[in-house]
Amino acid sequence: MPSITTFNTSRARSYMVRLPLFTRLVLLAILGFWLVGLQSVWDVRQWGALIPKEMGLATLYRMNTFPFIHLNVFHAVMNLLAIVPLLERFEAEYGTLTCLGLFFGPLTTIPSILYVLVEKGLGANTAVMGASMWVFTLLGLEAMRTYKLNPNLVILGYSIPTWTTPIGILFVIAVLVPNSSFLGHAAGLGVGYVAGFGLLKYLAPPEWALRWIEGKLNLLGRLPHYVSVDQKTYGRFGVLPSSNSSTGGSGVGLGLVGTSALALRRDPRMLKVPPYISLLCILVGAVWLFLLPLNEYSRRTYISENALLPGQVHTYFGGSDQNVFRAYKQEVNALAEQGKSNTEINGKLEEIVRGLGLKTARQNFTYAAAGRTYQGENLYAILQAPRGDATEAIVLVAAWENVKKEVNRQGVPLTLTLARYFKRWSLWSKDIIILFSPDSIAGPQAWVDAYHDAHDTSRVASLPIKSGALQGAIAIDYAQEHRFQSIHVVYDGVNGQLPNLDLINSVVNIAGGQMGMGVALQEMWQHNDQYPDRLRTMLRGMLKQGLGLASGPHSSFIPYHVDAVTLQPFGEGWQDEMAMGRVVEGTFRSLNNLLEHLHQSFFFYLLMQRERFVSIGTYLPSAMLVAANFTIMAIFLWMKSGQPAETSTADIKSGSESDKSTPPPTVERELFLPIGVVILCQTVSVIPLYLFNHVPENTLTPLFGLFFLINTILPPILSNLLTTFHRPTLQQYNLIKSFSLLLLGMFLSSLATLNFSLAMIIGLLSAPLSFVKPFPNSAAARAVCFALLNAISPAAVLLAGAAYWKLSVTTILTEAAVAWHVSGTYSSVLVWCVWWPAWLAGCVTVLGRPGDKEEEKNKTKKA
Amino acid sequence: MDGKVTVGRTAGLYVGAAVLRLAIFTLLPGIPDLLTGRVEISTPVTSFKRLQEGLFLYNHNVSPYDGGVYHQAPLFLPLFALLPNASSYPIFTYLLYIAVDLLSAGALWKIADSGEAASSALFTSPRKERRWSGFVIAAVFLFNPFTVATCIGRSTSVFTTCAILHAIAKAVSGNPFGAMVAISFAGYLSLYPFLLVPPLVLLCYDKQRSGRATKSVIPFAATSVSVVAGVVGFLFGMSYLITGSWEFLPSTYGVQLTLSDLTPNVGLWWYFFIEMFDSFRSFFLGVFWLHLSCYVGGLTIRIRQQPLAVLTLLLGIFGIFKPYPSISDTSLFLALVPLYRHVFPLMRYTFVIAAVILYASFLGPAFYYLWIYAGSGNANFFYAITLVWNLGQSLLVCDLLFAVLRDEWEVERPEMVGKEIRQI
Repeated sequence: MPSITTFNTSRARSYMVRLPLFTRLVLLAILGFWLVGLQSVWDVRQWGALIPKEMGLATLYRMNTFPFIHLNVFHAVMNLLAIVPLLERFEAEYGTLTCLGLFFGPLTTIPSILYVLVEKGLGANTAVMGASMWVFTLLGLEAMRTYKLNPNLVILGYSIPTWTTPIGILFVIAVLVPNSSFLGHAAGLGVGYVAGFGLLKYLAPPEWALRWIEGKLNLLGRLPHYVSVDQKTYGRFGVLPSSNSSTGGSGVGLGLVGTSALALRRDPRMLKVPPYISLLCILVGAVWLFLLPLNEYSRRTYISENALLPGQVHTYFGGSDQNVFRAYKQEVNALAEQGKSNTEINGKLEEIVRGLGLKTARQNFTYAAAGRTYQGENLYAILQAPRGDATEAIVLVAAWENVKKEVNRQGVPLTLTLARYFKRWSLWSKDIIILFSPDSIAGPQAWVDAYHDAHDTSRVASLPIKSGALQGAIAIDYAQEHRFQSIHVVYDGVNGQLPNLDLINSVVNIAGGQMGMGVALQEMWQHNDQYPDRLRTMLRGMLKQGLGLASGPHSSFIPYHVDAVTLQPFGEGWQDEMAMGRVVEGTFRSLNNLLEHLHQSFFFYLLMQRERFVSIGTYLPSAMLVAANFTIMAIFLWMKSGQPAETSTADIKSGSESDKSTPPPTVERELFLPIGVVILCQTVSVIPLYLFNHVPENTLTPLFGLFFLINTILPPILSNLLTTFHRPTLQQYNLIKSFSLLLLGMFLSSLATLNFSLAMIIGLLSAPLSFVKPFPNSAAARAVCFALLNAISPAAVLLAGAAYWKLSVTTILTEAAVAWHVSGTYSSVLVWCVWWPAWLAGCVTVLGRPGDKEEEKNKTKKA
Repeated sequence: MDGKVTVGRTAGLYVGAAVLRLAIFTLLPGIPDLLTGRVEISTPVTSFKRLQEGLFLYNHNVSPYDGGVYHQAPLFLPLFALLPNASSYPIFTYLLYIAVDLLSAGALWKIADSGEAASSALFTSPRKERRWSGFVIAAVFLFNPFTVATCIGRSTSVFTTCAILHAIAKAVSGNPFGAMVAISFAGYLSLYPFLLVPPLVLLCYDKQRSGRATKSVIPFAATSVSVVAGVVGFLFGMSYLITGSWEFLPSTYGVQLTLSDLTPNVGLWWYFFIEMFDSFRSFFLGVFWLHLSCYVGGLTIRIRQQPLAVLTLLLGIFGIFKPYPSISDTSLFLALVPLYRHVFPLMRYTFVIAAVILYASFLGPAFYYLWIYAGSGNANFFYAITLVWNLGQSLLVCDLLFAVLRDEWEVERPEMVGKEIRQI
């Protein structure tokens, strides 16, 4: 019998090909009945099962049909696995016709009659089906045969008769497999034992008759895979015994079996498959992404946290608050038009907030990035909860300037009005913190860092007063002066982290459902909820997530596990600032209801419409497939680099009979050079990372130009140096590529769990690196390949991005440097220290001129 | 690699390693504290932060074990109390840790140069020509990122590592007394090295100097064990004098034996015991410790001919299954593995092992981040990756064991050289 440890695909295949006829028919019948059982019109199980109460003359067919019918696919597969090897042996021994006679006659009917009688005697009526009764009959037969050869099994001095083993199996199956028929199995086993005592020959049809039938019909000639009854004249398979190995697989000596894994490794076909698998991974990964917006793969959003109850409360903001708002707006407009400094503005605002009876405090901060300093002063106020104990707080943020540097002319007065309004209510159970920051990125970042005591005290001042743990934050970015149509929800956090989906759902529910205004995401001002719009929303979201930049005041909160969004009114409509205020009020009332931190809903998702998303389980496979492609290629190249070693060991093996004294010369992989090259590439990558993050803004563009130049000439120089000093072999080039891809795959699969989009973007852009190879003989191919690789180098992609979005390179690089210093965005690490070294190693491989491989091979063979 | 090692190269290696560490300590001041806080490096029984706490209490004449934070040996306290305060003059602590690493490397060098790995007293490998010099092995140890990270994280396990390596180095150079004293120190510091005593005694017995050799192994073992007992007794006495009570026993060894601190680490125990119902706790503690120690007897008997291989494999196993493992234990195991250069061609899964260990060491911090900081994962994320990490290590242990046994077997059965075999 084939055991798991010796499993070998080619052997398994040949086993399947050599299955004899009756076994095949049984197999097909079982499969066929299972397929028939899939439809619901005709209940084949009811029709064919062995049901004691139903047994009559007209239903005797059941005795022969029940073994073919199974409860479900699992049942069928398990029984098939058990019966095929047993039946194959039986048939090979006794011939197809005998099998037919026995299994449609006594070996089936006798156990079933026994079963029906016992069952009737007990007054029970349990239907049985499935081939397991046959399995036990055959096991009984086998056990008896083993018993004759090998009567006892000695364990610790106790002799155990070998015929008892099936009884053990019987009990184990009765205990472990639910719904198995102990009685049915026992009946089958009993008949097997009886048959094994030598009574089989009385049960079987007479041999002369079978031989006559066989001869008359020339079955051996006509039927494929037929096993003859007559074992003497023709041999069982109609050929001479010497030329066949009837029971393949079994009975091979114990110590010296070629390990199948090794055999598989040697198989030359194995070395052709991985690149295709790799390509398939990339294609499936990419296509997967484009399937996500379909209805079948995305889901409608839903509120998971029951405590939120969004849109269930009546909002009272309005009426006289509008007059208050106008007054505050007057003040703010005056401040904006006089061009007051940050401190003066804070002075005025503090005066107003103090007047409302709130505690206030200020915080200074200074950041230096790209040769500039970003400094300012945050003003914040704490509204202590009338019903809380200051252990939890929610934050309302109004930055003086939004990310586009427009003054938040409506947002700041609205926040002041809301603070005044909130102060009058007694229902808050969480403190409310009102934060006015001078800008949208650095200010909130400094404040949140300091709130969590994670700030660098030399640049950011500590906070004089604090409240409890932050549970959520809403930022208002309301710069437009006229009435608006809908609300734009900005939710991307630093490094692609996202707020809990429940928060976005609550806002959508309150704004869209309760207030009747539209909600837009990812600057999709118009959205028709069709495939193209969904895809566009999703891709924009992914791009933003991948860049990992702060997109508003809320972004800095998310890394501290404080769920936050920015609300941005847009469009021409009839909604006024009071409606906006009510949206904020509704959201705050929902957050106020929270009993614990938002945790119910998803943290990893891609939104494609305000009410449609895919969760991590659905989208992660695409990034993982792309990352896996690199790992597969790395393993493949490792195997390939060991290939000459394998063949030479094989040679030695065949020759070792003649010359036993020679130890096997294993051709080793030359690891030091490839590891050195890969480490060099990784180390060099620290230089651009450091430079681009530390030079002043005005030198960024010249530096980039210089880098672009070096980027183009570095691979040829490196490759020439390598060729001059080491002349690496093809194996070593393969190993360079293997190690660099292994690292890339490793980084990307780790990254996919943190920032899916970035992993996906880098993965797709570096996918061609899986397929580059050295061209030993063609300088032209080398040049073309190198030029193509240059087109997807990080620097070229950056240029292309700048051209597409019509941004200057300086802006992009400054933005990246600021993000690195202020928000702690790590995307640049990924670009310079993961993507670029992999690209560099890829270029070195392409430009490589490996030493003569044949020569190497010959040398090792001679050694 | 050529075997010629000049004084210049030796000095270069040590200076290079010291400069690398010193550069990280001084040029990247955030890194030591970051690494000190990592659960992969600092366990409750080796953490430098906890040592600081114990030291503070000790310097203020309070029992260092009050408060249940400090679980390390009492003799660390006078040692670190001698150094200037680690927060104001950290350079002295840095130099101490660097010196310990270099001492470990020196011991490793001696072990490598003795050639014990390939040809012991009872067994000589047919492949013994294929080996790396002590220089390479010391360099692999000193520049292994895990060793560097442990040194920078100032985990006190480096002292145990140093003691174990010295014990082995003394043993292979025919100094049983020194070996027993060193292993007693290691055991005193971390408890688990006591399990290394049986193979170490055999190693000492095999490598006795011919002049004053003890014939029978039983008296030899008895003498060795009594040396260990004597030294440990002395150390306990010193500890008692320093702390003034026997309280240190339950606070140091008791914690290791009963796993009362369940801070996550790269091992397999913490998650299991978090999930455990209290009524089963003592039973499973027994099972886990029994499991850890049961390898000692089996391996010592099976690979009697190569006690150093037993020590190497046991260190690998302890790195997986001990109560508070860290990457420091892995770095000790990985330091000894290159001694078996001669059986590398017999190993079958080197690439898989390297890939698994690499992947796990990057995914581990990522998943820990998702669990602890981002809050979007949970404990299962980190535990799953520690399983992978330990899978990688156990693959390495198994593969090395296979290679060593195969090497022995080919001497017994020369006709089987180069043929494939299957373990059944």
